Amino acid sequence: MTEKPTIEMSRYCVPFTPFRGPLEEATVMIVSTAGVHHVEDPPFDTEGDTSFRAIPGDATAADLRVADTHYDHDCIDKDVNCVFPIDRLYELAEERRIRAVAEKHFSLGFTQALRQLRDETTPRLVREVERLRPDAVLLTGG
Amino acid sequence: MVGIPTVLVTVEPAESMQARPPRALCPRGFIAGHTFGRPRDSALQRWIIMDALGLLTAPPAPGEVITRDYG
Repeated sequence: MTEKPTIEMSRYCVPFTPFRGPLEEATVMIVSTAGVHHVEDPPFDTEGDTSFRAIPGDATAADLRVADTHYDHDCIDKDVNCVFPIDRLYELAEERRIRAVAEKHFSLGFTQALRQLRDETTPRLVREVERLRPDAVLLTGG
Repeated sequence: MVGIPTVLVTVEPAESMQARPPRALCPRGFIAGHTFGRPRDSALQRWIIMDALGLLTAPPAPGEVITRDYG
């Protein structure tokens, strides 16, 4: 079997996938770089960590912790929804403004190992997201 | 292979634009640590989320970061 040649996108291209709404029928996932993890999972190494964490779809903000020292924690120490609005998504689903919250969400931590992040971590994370196939992903940092 | 639609909420719009986001919202004046608003201010957090999700159905503006004010 011959391999298909990879096509490198122009640096000026914007990768865009149309949304096939309506929003009321969409399952929404959060993918974050805020260093969020479930309380039962090991925290990120705050000095640099290229791993990611899966956060169960039924977790609430009370189940989450933040392992990142590179932004101010004054708000998130009181309410993780300030950077990872998981409770708000539940409410929107209950109100039928979205159909559902995704089965899992994901968070990365702080890293400066950008090549490893691009070549190893991101492809693995993308495979996880694709396996779950949410209708939309809400991307956020800290 | 079909992609998955995304929308970014960012407080670093200049940096985010370098990544060429297909859809992006910037709450003006917010900083890292409260991208979605004040602690326990569920109305504000929901407002920002719905504005972000609203970009999924809005006229496409790929590569642009939409900046809005939230008080």
